[in-house]
Amino acid sequence: MSSHQQGKKQRSRADWILLFVGLVVGSAFGFWLTPTILYAEKAQPLQFNHKLHLEQVSDSCKSCHTLREDGSFSGIPSIQSCMECHEADSPMGDGANEAAFLKYLKANQPIPWLVYSRQPDCVFFSHAAHTANAGFECARCHGDHGQTTKLRPYEYNRITGYSRDIWGKGPIGLSGPPHRMKMDDCAKCHSENGVNRACFVCHK
Amino acid sequence: MQWDRRAFIKLAVGGVLGIHASPLVWKLMDDSTIWTQNWSWVPVPEDGAVAFANTVSPQTGNAVQTRLVQGRVDGTRAIRVEGNPAHPLGKGGVVPEDASALQLLYNDDIRVKTPLMRDKATGKVVPLSWPEALDLLAGNLADLVKKGNAQGIMALGHDPDSTTGQLLLSLMASLGSPNVAFTPDARETLALAGLVMMGQTEFGFDLANSDYVVSFGTPLLEGFGNPVATRKAFASWRGYPKNSGFFAQIESRASVTASQADMWLACRPGTEGALAMAMCSIMIQEGLYDQNAVENSFGFNDEGDFPGFKSYVLKNYPREQVAAMAGVPLSKLLKLTLGFAKAKSAVAVFGPGNSGGPGRMYDYMAVMALNALKGNIGKPGGVIIQKDIPLKPVGNPGIAGNVQPLVSPIQGLDQNNPQALAQAALEGKPYGINTLLLVGGNFVYNGPSAGTMHKLARQTPFVVAITPFLDESAMVADLVLPSTHWLEGWGDSVTPYGSPVASYGIHRPLIKAVPEAKDAGDILLAVAARLGGKPAAAMPYKSMQEALAARTEAMGDFEELAEQSYWIQEKPAYGAPKFNTPSGKFEFFSLGLFKLLSGRAKQPAALAQLVASMGVAGGLEAAFLPHWEAPAALADLGTGMPLVMQAVPSLRTTWGDDATTPYMVKVLPDTMLADKDKLVVEMNPSTAHELHIYEGDMVRVDSTEGSVTAKVHLFEGAAPDMVFVPVGLGHDAFGFQVAGKGMNFNGAAKVTSDPMSGLPIWELTAVSVEKV
Repeated sequence: MSSHQQGKKQRSRADWILLFVGLVVGSAFGFWLTPTILYAEKAQPLQFNHKLHLEQVSDSCKSCHTLREDGSFSGIPSIQSCMECHEADSPMGDGANEAAFLKYLKANQPIPWLVYSRQPDCVFFSHAAHTANAGFECARCHGDHGQTTKLRPYEYNRITGYSRDIWGKGPIGLSGPPHRMKMDDCAKCHSENGVNRACFVCHK
Repeated sequence: MQWDRRAFIKLAVGGVLGIHASPLVWKLMDDSTIWTQNWSWVPVPEDGAVAFANTVSPQTGNAVQTRLVQGRVDGTRAIRVEGNPAHPLGKGGVVPEDASALQLLYNDDIRVKTPLMRDKATGKVVPLSWPEALDLLAGNLADLVKKGNAQGIMALGHDPDSTTGQLLLSLMASLGSPNVAFTPDARETLALAGLVMMGQTEFGFDLANSDYVVSFGTPLLEGFGNPVATRKAFASWRGYPKNSGFFAQIESRASVTASQADMWLACRPGTEGALAMAMCSIMIQEGLYDQNAVENSFGFNDEGDFPGFKSYVLKNYPREQVAAMAGVPLSKLLKLTLGFAKAKSAVAVFGPGNSGGPGRMYDYMAVMALNALKGNIGKPGGVIIQKDIPLKPVGNPGIAGNVQPLVSPIQGLDQNNPQALAQAALEGKPYGINTLLLVGGNFVYNGPSAGTMHKLARQTPFVVAITPFLDESAMVADLVLPSTHWLEGWGDSVTPYGSPVASYGIHRPLIKAVPEAKDAGDILLAVAARLGGKPAAAMPYKSMQEALAARTEAMGDFEELAEQSYWIQEKPAYGAPKFNTPSGKFEFFSLGLFKLLSGRAKQPAALAQLVASMGVAGGLEAAFLPHWEAPAALADLGTGMPLVMQAVPSLRTTWGDDATTPYMVKVLPDTMLADKDKLVVEMNPSTAHELHIYEGDMVRVDSTEGSVTAKVHLFEGAAPDMVFVPVGLGHDAFGFQVAGKGMNFNGAAKVTSDPMSGLPIWELTAVSVEKV
């Protein structure tokens, strides 16, 4: 073997390592960067302890998140609903959070909560069909949200503006509900349960 | 390892590949596509509180709910029309016309947004302000009245029973013009047949509780009565929630209704009434009629000089002869009649015909006689008299002065004949007209003869159209006044055709109207107020809302009524009805009609002459009895017009008096509208073969009134020697989605007057078909 041939072989092997290193670094960069550049955070207007409230009420989630007469769902309870237990002039706790809450209560203004699970406008979703008719537990789609003691920051997609919960925490988006709620997940569940999955079922 | 260009490239390529192996690129691409859908200029509805509001569609009489979203683009926006589950007739169902109503409401291209004035010379339109427009109209009317030419004002309205119709009648009467007519309606013929035989005008068919239904050409599944209630009754005969009914359809074509029937009796065109008479004849011969009902009737047996129904029917309608004449097998006719006579709750249904017209009064009377022989009047599943709707009169329709109308009132029992008015005005006999008011109904498209109405509008010096849409009537008007859509404004409607219970619907403003639109009633009130004097005194309301409140005073709190949107009789009024006839009984021989015509004839000797002059072919012997007369339009057969044209209705089109939505045109099958815009007419293969016409050929269907060009579809279910033309297509207006699709049936339909009712009829037309 000539020295020229030997050098070419050595060189070739080392170069392929470089390609592999680039591949690993690039891929890691992409996995790390995707959520970092894509999502921004917003703080909720104030904190809320779901766990604490659940211990106080008698009808679990339904105590505040009710189905209305017309079948629509009270995703965010009205301030009047809060007033059923709270009074504006007698705080039930101390601290900045309670004070901020009472401001809304005094002004009779709705609290501008940021909804983690809000679907795009083009999606029609009936809670009645899924809870009252199909008998789904809230946690099936919302996870342990009802057991949390504080609200995590609301993360939203800088490009689309949608909540990160729709795509899911993972950058690849492979998980299903409750960690992700994309159209594929709806379609999969509809297929599995023999429910019509025509476009117009969800897109009205 | 050397760090050189080649090494760098390998590292860079690896990096790029690595990034592509990560979700970075793919996720960004996905999000970018979603981002483009959310650009600020892409119309996305804003969020807002959703609410449902009740209302009633005046076009179908169906109770619906509208989903409204607050805070959308400009105030509240309607996003959907659904059925109202609380309404006893519709029970939550809708028809295509109601479900797609928003397509017209929010179609800016076809809504009239401001009063428009057309320059006669150039045809250009210029917008006007409301005060200018009202001054122009009121000035024109006042001028004619001042010159003593009030009869030169003619008005055509849509529904005389609506409050808008009542206000139009009041306005015309106070101006001193008798020349007013409304969209001709089968309800009028039904009322007249009821009046002369029962002394009752408001009644219907208890289809939901009937176990044996015989329909004489009635398009039950193509928009009969309250269409949802009819379909629900139909469903109940077919297994849900009970499988109880036998249904027979007597019709020349295998229509949707006929194809769903247990028995289809394919008869020759216009012979339905004769078959009803033959069924009466069979029931009498076999002794299968209700003895009790007949004993408590008048005119079954001979009365004085006049033959009774029994002897008349037996003499003139022998079963074999009628079956042969109508082209139906006698065995089938006999089986149908025996089934009808023996069924527990049988009913015979009639009107409106396939063209949506008023139909022939003697046919209605013949089927009424059949129901009477069955003894089903007032019984569950039979013919049921409705309760009166508790409405108070609005306005004052009493006419001032003695003005000769364009059409003599002696020409029939009903004076509502827009066709006859238009003809008389066109011919200038006895006089012409100066001003034409078109208040809904779209007469220039819907006719009855579209050509005549178009000619009249062209010839009249001043034409005013009050309409929400730039429809065919608006296209020929000199002054177009924008009225509200039924989801935007106040209005009302009464019981749909044939319903066994009385119902009343009221609609109110649910969303903000297009900027300048006013309720049609408000426009009439504003004109009356500007005219002052008699018109203002006859219509003393500040607004349409006030007029409606006054009219419905007996229904309780107006706000509650408006919110509920309807009043309805709780359940059918079963039990022996009160016959308000001269004899106080059901009259096979109409004593009331005899007295009325005797009064008009003045001398007994002139009665036969009067009956003949009205066009009753059966003569004096038959004039006061239910009987069958050959359709007048068929007299043209053999004069180079060998075929009979008949309309094909569909739930996916309207009969033309209401607007057709783009959705309805889109869902039409290829057997009605093919190749996007070609009208499809049906012919029997044997008839087509004789004329050397093949499937898909283009033909021209000619009548004495006009013609339609269409593609031929050969259909075994079409009776021979006939051509079936879809009705409700061929608009020139309503935007590109609706205009230019097919051709207008009313452009070729021949209109005659019914000899007894005096109403226009256009169910059948003699035509020739030529390949083009």
